[in-house]
Amino acid sequence: MPVTYKKIASVTVGAGGAATMDFNSIPGTYTDLKLIISAKTNAASISDFTKIRFNGVSTSYSNRNVYGQSGSPFSSTNTEILASCNGNNSTASTFGNSEYYLPNYTGNTNKSVSVDSVSETNGTNDTYAWLAAGLWSNTAAITSISLSPFNGTSFNQYSTATLYGISKS
Amino acid sequence: MPATYENIATTTLGSSQANIDFTNIPGTFTDLVVIATLKRAAAGALDANIRVGNNSFDTGSNYSTTLLYGTGSAAGSTRFANQTSILADYYGSVNDTNEHIAIYQFMNYSNTTTNKTVIIRANRASSGVDAIVGLWRSTSAINQIRITLDLGGAQLMASGSTITLYGIKAA
Amino acid sequence: MIGNILGGAMGKLVVAGDFDSIATTTVGAGGTGTVTFSGISSVYQHLQLRIMAKTNRTAGSQGDVINMTFNSDTASNYSYHQLQGDGAGTGASGSATQTKIQLERTGDATADRFGVIIVDILDYKDTNKAKTTRQLGGFDNNGGGQIALMSGRWGKTPLEAISSITLTPVVGTLFTVNSHFALYGIKG
Repeated sequence: MPVTYKKIASVTVGAGGAATMDFNSIPGTYTDLKLIISAKTNAASISDFTKIRFNGVSTSYSNRNVYGQSGSPFSSTNTEILASCNGNNSTASTFGNSEYYLPNYTGNTNKSVSVDSVSETNGTNDTYAWLAAGLWSNTAAITSISLSPFNGTSFNQYSTATLYGISKS
Repeated sequence: MPATYENIATTTLGSSQANIDFTNIPGTFTDLVVIATLKRAAAGALDANIRVGNNSFDTGSNYSTTLLYGTGSAAGSTRFANQTSILADYYGSVNDTNEHIAIYQFMNYSNTTTNKTVIIRANRASSGVDAIVGLWRSTSAINQIRITLDLGGAQLMASGSTITLYGIKAA
Repeated sequence: MIGNILGGAMGKLVVAGDFDSIATTTVGAGGTGTVTFSGISSVYQHLQLRIMAKTNRTAGSQGDVINMTFNSDTASNYSYHQLQGDGAGTGASGSATQTKIQLERTGDATADRFGVIIVDILDYKDTNKAKTTRQLGGFDNNGGGQIALMSGRWGKTPLEAISSITLTPVVGTLFTVNSHFALYGIKG
């Protein structure tokens, strides 16, 4: 019986933090994946980014983005697929808000990703409103996802990530 | 509790084709969410375009678009008024790879009292990223949607291009 | 699978998933100055607010803006940031120690023309976290308008679960007829 929008799994970081937030053995029964993240890292900055790994593979990632901090927006490229999140120097108890959308994650083509993300702090500068087009140049079906900080070494306690499956039939 | 987020229809092209159409869209939802993974059947990049209508596609100059883009080296914004379609991407365009993905959200598509607005996120990592708002200046309900790479029909979408339509129903 | 099996579109059977409609407000004739969602259930992990709205701000003003507050808190416990394009140029800005989060952009008094905004509020009931919002919204006016990605933060202490959301126009005094506000819950 089809369920269109279904939670697959969730992760909450406990006391002491965690180097990664992982989703393993992702079922191949959905069409698309949606990953929602509320994260803060131990990076000594107001903002950081989450970095994504599919199937434990560390190569062949890229993204092209547009982002705003204060003043004029910018655009850049990276050799990772990044979503903005909070760093440890942001306002206390404040976490980022981001979403990765992965269509056709079981298909035999390269994997494209749509990223909408923000970090936030009670200040006027150094947050990121960040939109990105991501690519994993690998034709394997995605069976696992691992998130890690881009600049920091661990996610802070209370960071969460929830993985949803979206089914077209 | 009724199903709130429901798949309506999906089309995956088995051969190259000019348009992907959804017709007879039920008016029972509040918003439509369209997930598009498009590939061009020829080399080079083109922008996808959207036409909508009520029992027929509106081909008049009744569409407009405002957008924000990133190229990887520059951020910018532009707009197009009095167009014959909504521009569904700009730098996040469609080429002959499998990289283009887009999410279109048609808000309150079935009412007969407001002009119709769509929010779009379009992406191609080798080219650019877009956030777009599009307007159809009609108060008619939308019951059909066309996505095309060429309003004249000459440029085709490749086999494997897929568009899936979902409905969201408010209480 | 055990679940609610319901008749869906075109007669096919669907099972209710993890994206639920909580409440909806459609503005009637005469308009309203405030839209409030109260008594928000704590059974979900995230909230999504989907808005199609216009205000009675003077037509041709390129739209209006919404103030959003939580749990009737109107103290300086908020901040927000913005990335936007208006068709002619781009901008980014931040506002700290505010009495509200701002959402952009609604329509103005231009006939039939509404703006749309999608707001995602994650971990809304977690009392270990301030509440961070992410919103993507836009208004096109056939030669004018704006598209924006915005963030917001509510950090009242002690930290609270969100139980109510209040929305008011910034420049106009009313949300006008047919404005539509829909709140959804996402299970986690």
